[in-house]
Amino acid sequence: MTLLLSALGGVLALDAIALGQFMVSRPLAAATIAGWFLGDPLLGLQIGALLELFHIASLSSGGSRVADPGPASVAAVVVAATAQPDSAVALGVLAGLVTSELGGVTIGLQRRLNARLIGRLEEGPLTPGHLDAAHLAAMSIDFVRGAALTAAAQVGGGWLAQALGPAWALGRGATMALLLVGASVHLGALLKGFGGWSVRRRLFMAGVVAGLAAAYLG
Amino acid sequence: MSARRPAGWLGSLLRSFAIQGSWNPRSLLGSGFAFALVPFLRRSGLVGTELARRTRRHLEPFNAHPYLSGVALGAVARMEQEGADAETVRRFKRAVQGPLGALGDNLMWGAWRPATLLFALAVAWSGTHPWVPVLLFLALYNAGHLALRWWSLGVGLGGWRGVGARLEAARLPFKAERVVRAAALLLGVLTGGLLAGGLAPAGWGWSVGGMAGFALGLRLGQRVLRFATLAVVLGILAAAAAGAR
Repeated sequence: MTLLLSALGGVLALDAIALGQFMVSRPLAAATIAGWFLGDPLLGLQIGALLELFHIASLSSGGSRVADPGPASVAAVVVAATAQPDSAVALGVLAGLVTSELGGVTIGLQRRLNARLIGRLEEGPLTPGHLDAAHLAAMSIDFVRGAALTAAAQVGGGWLAQALGPAWALGRGATMALLLVGASVHLGALLKGFGGWSVRRRLFMAGVVAGLAAAYLG
Repeated sequence: MSARRPAGWLGSLLRSFAIQGSWNPRSLLGSGFAFALVPFLRRSGLVGTELARRTRRHLEPFNAHPYLSGVALGAVARMEQEGADAETVRRFKRAVQGPLGALGDNLMWGAWRPATLLFALAVAWSGTHPWVPVLLFLALYNAGHLALRWWSLGVGLGGWRGVGARLEAARLPFKAERVVRAAALLLGVLTGGLLAGGLAPAGWGWSVGGMAGFALGLRLGQRVLRFATLAVVLGILAAAAAGAR
């Protein structure tokens, strides 16, 4: 199963930037798929929805430093599935956030490697065949990078779940609240990205009222 | 899509899905652009050293939003077909890359993606079957994504001279604004739901913390996101350490 999930991480890493960008690599989708692989898509959705709140405001324009939430979401669900129930969500999200940032670092390294691959093309003889080979090599490296990241995060996350899980001090309600307080910063930043309070306050507040009503009436 | 599309357009469209495959800080999207253009060049009858020469000149730095890169791809294919000189092609690519990047970022990363995600998250929070929000998101998002890729290649294939006018006529910023309005409403719905369903049951202190966090994000924007994530990571480790004592 570890190998299969690592391969899934590789495919999700490709989807994020190199191939397709169908957004299967978004935490909401990636974690649910990983949960399905492990026989618990609902756990996957819970982890994925929480991780999504931490990534939704991040922009990936141009060559800016990016996170890598696809492989991270797989690792997060694996950790949550192996941890004790009270700590499962918190430790899963912890593994997902840390892996996502580490994945961003590996993306930076891979981009430098790509520059070497393409640089060699510019210096030497070039045919479309050479270009295809270099381009596909870069994508293959991205797949391996994503798979290796997922595998390493599964191993490290498993150790983390065993070390920290039994000592978890918070109840489920407080655990969820802790995560949501952190996520609320990202949601505030998202509203700023939409134009800010002065421009969007009416629509936003109408939504808040509707959301509160739905929560209390539903 | 133009009825008189040149041979190789389907190959280039398919290859454009991998246009970021070798993204690098040196030529940015340049190598991916050349990779996606190869079917056009091959089907236009170029072979041997001439094909190699034309491929090489597209390795130079280029950047755009991946979904809108089809505009440049289609237009450059037409230019190559018409035998435009290298300098004209280079100037055209330099002129369009900025607008294609900005328009695509605003429409897709700044509006469509968060809007469809917020919708899916609101559905997920309402307690449906796990696959419902995921499939809703993927179907909605990719309907817009695939339509934009198809449309953008068609705009490019319509000829390089009218590209600016055709982009302007599409009113992409206006469409992005409409989507952002819906997204702001959905963000409110989700925030209200999380406040009532996730924070309030844990105690008023958590609700105040959530509102303060939201205000901080609203004030500081992208600058504070990594710190907020780091704070949560440290908070989880602190909670685990407290239990271990």
